[in-house]
Amino acid sequence: MFNKVLIANRGEIAVRIIRACRELGMQTVAVYSEADRQALHVRLSDEAYYLGPAPARDSYLRGDKIIAIAMESGAGGIHPGYGFLAERADFAQACQDAGLVFIGPKPSSIAAMGDKAVARATVAASGVPVVPGTEGEGSLLDEELLSLAPKIGFPLLIKATAGGGGKGMREVQALDEMAGLLQAARREAEAAFGDGNVYLEKLVEGARHIEFQILADNHGNVVHLGERECSLQRRHQKLLEECPSPFVGDDDELRQLMGSVAVRAAQAVDYVNAGTIEFLVDKDKNFFFLEMNTRLQVEHPVTEIVTGFDIVKEQIRIARGRQMRHTQEDIQLSGWAIDCRINAEDPYNQFLPSTGIISHMILPTGPGVRVDTGVYPGFEISPYYDSLISKLIVSGETRGEAILRMRRALEEYKIIGVRTNIPFHQRLMDSHRFMGGQYDTRFVEERFSLEAAEEGKGSLEDIAAILATLVAHQQTQRAAHIIQRGERDTSNWKWVGRWERMHR
Amino acid sequence: MRYVTTIGEREYLIEILSDGQVAVDGVVYNVDFESLSGQPVHSLLVDNHSYEGSVYPVEEGWQVLLRGTLYMVQVEDEREKRLRASLGSGPADYGEYHLKAPMPGLIVAIPVNEGQEVAKGDVVVILESMKMQNELKSPRAGKIARLRIKPGDSVEQRATLLSVV
Repeated sequence: MFNKVLIANRGEIAVRIIRACRELGMQTVAVYSEADRQALHVRLSDEAYYLGPAPARDSYLRGDKIIAIAMESGAGGIHPGYGFLAERADFAQACQDAGLVFIGPKPSSIAAMGDKAVARATVAASGVPVVPGTEGEGSLLDEELLSLAPKIGFPLLIKATAGGGGKGMREVQALDEMAGLLQAARREAEAAFGDGNVYLEKLVEGARHIEFQILADNHGNVVHLGERECSLQRRHQKLLEECPSPFVGDDDELRQLMGSVAVRAAQAVDYVNAGTIEFLVDKDKNFFFLEMNTRLQVEHPVTEIVTGFDIVKEQIRIARGRQMRHTQEDIQLSGWAIDCRINAEDPYNQFLPSTGIISHMILPTGPGVRVDTGVYPGFEISPYYDSLISKLIVSGETRGEAILRMRRALEEYKIIGVRTNIPFHQRLMDSHRFMGGQYDTRFVEERFSLEAAEEGKGSLEDIAAILATLVAHQQTQRAAHIIQRGERDTSNWKWVGRWERMHR
Repeated sequence: MRYVTTIGEREYLIEILSDGQVAVDGVVYNVDFESLSGQPVHSLLVDNHSYEGSVYPVEEGWQVLLRGTLYMVQVEDEREKRLRASLGSGPADYGEYHLKAPMPGLIVAIPVNEGQEVAKGDVVVILESMKMQNELKSPRAGKIARLRIKPGDSVEQRATLLSVV
């Protein structure tokens, strides 16, 4: 069996996998693009190989090169992380053909769950409830979709068949706006996945997004590790996850019912290794299968904290053919965990991505705090990859303790050089609805505002005024000093004119 | 030095006295102000109460991020304030506006044509960066002039994309 693992990924997840390998005493092989020579995963690994230019299609998506590097370095296993090649059945197959162990499910399971229409048809056949839509009908033309839409009913969602992460997804309120939205969805899907096919799905209103973590070994054992609440999203991108779900809460009957359905869905595709079954749950606790992610999830740490499992190490053990040590009865949820995704994006400017060099960073530490990150001061956030720079995960005995701890940790976390969504999370932690667990997938977009202070928190406006004035004063003093010395060879007027032209 | 500092509707008259003292609307405070390790992070002690904030210069003034809240602050000395009062309007309402790329990326689409009239808030460019499609909007009404990009172009941060006149 393999003792050396190639990590076909970058960023925080590559670092996470390297850590698991280290703890298991395994050698690690990193791969990197031109933009990532100085990345943390390269610094932490035992070996590192150059892949290609910065764009993902020339580097982290080059399955052929990655397999060649694995052969050259003698790595017997490949861990794909999430994104990039993680859910590509052809890559998993190519690994197998090259005699390498793909640390994940079989190619056939990835293929079955990868096409969402096929996935829904497959699980529906094994008795798992699905959301009404055009699942399993293959690729339909616009005219066909337009005629099917009224039968499904509005509002509905247009989703990319090859999609994920909210790309190629549009919400339709009425038939007359649907044609235009179909175009937009197809264009985005084509750009993101090279596949413009879309399908329709009924929009479940007031829906919560609750997912179950699955582990399955090669000996026919399948267990679930409880649920994660992922309803806090913006543009269908998850922002915060917690485990357990405040909606499921004490209802252990619902938890076990959903968990057993999730296990059945995994068994329907003969699943092996770690995977996640996503459900939509309406306010009456009816739940529908949404999709299965046939890989390690970004938000896996909250489950690790509450169950005590190291999911990445379990993945590697399973891939090495080991039988799972735990049965469903052994798995208990204890305490509470919350994960905030820290993204390089400006919450005050339409969440636009922010790039640049991280000039300064202070990580939160102390009791119950875990930070999974791939960046450090001096590292440049480039525009080539996604904007996730770290995950801040806290634990608590209760949900209340976890929220208070998250507030404290967010306040400690300082990242300078790029804008981050930390202030967004701080506001969220102060929101009464969040504290009460009263939120659905629309909450962030429809009922949450950065401006509206929901609590009568003492404003620090006067302090902000003093701070800005002191900084402005300091700058004026310095500027005056420079001009007095007459260090420029041209007049300041000319210089200002040139400077302004340059910035047009 | 005396400054008029504005946050929203509220004006503060702030006078920087000797080292370590400021007067805010006539009330004197003891302040100690340090920049941390040469970064735009500042530690401020006001009568021994400790605050830490980030201050960024932006086109419209200063952005102060303090305990998870962003304040938009204008700081003017008294002469500047008189000048602005005589002009009577903000910079966004007259002259040309040059739309710059807020981050490096790929131009996906340009839903407007040169010479086209746009309203405030109309989407003028769709820029893809970090795997997301971002809509860039016109900050004011006007006419599109000098379109410098076409779909498929890669642009650097702060590259001028088009002008609104």
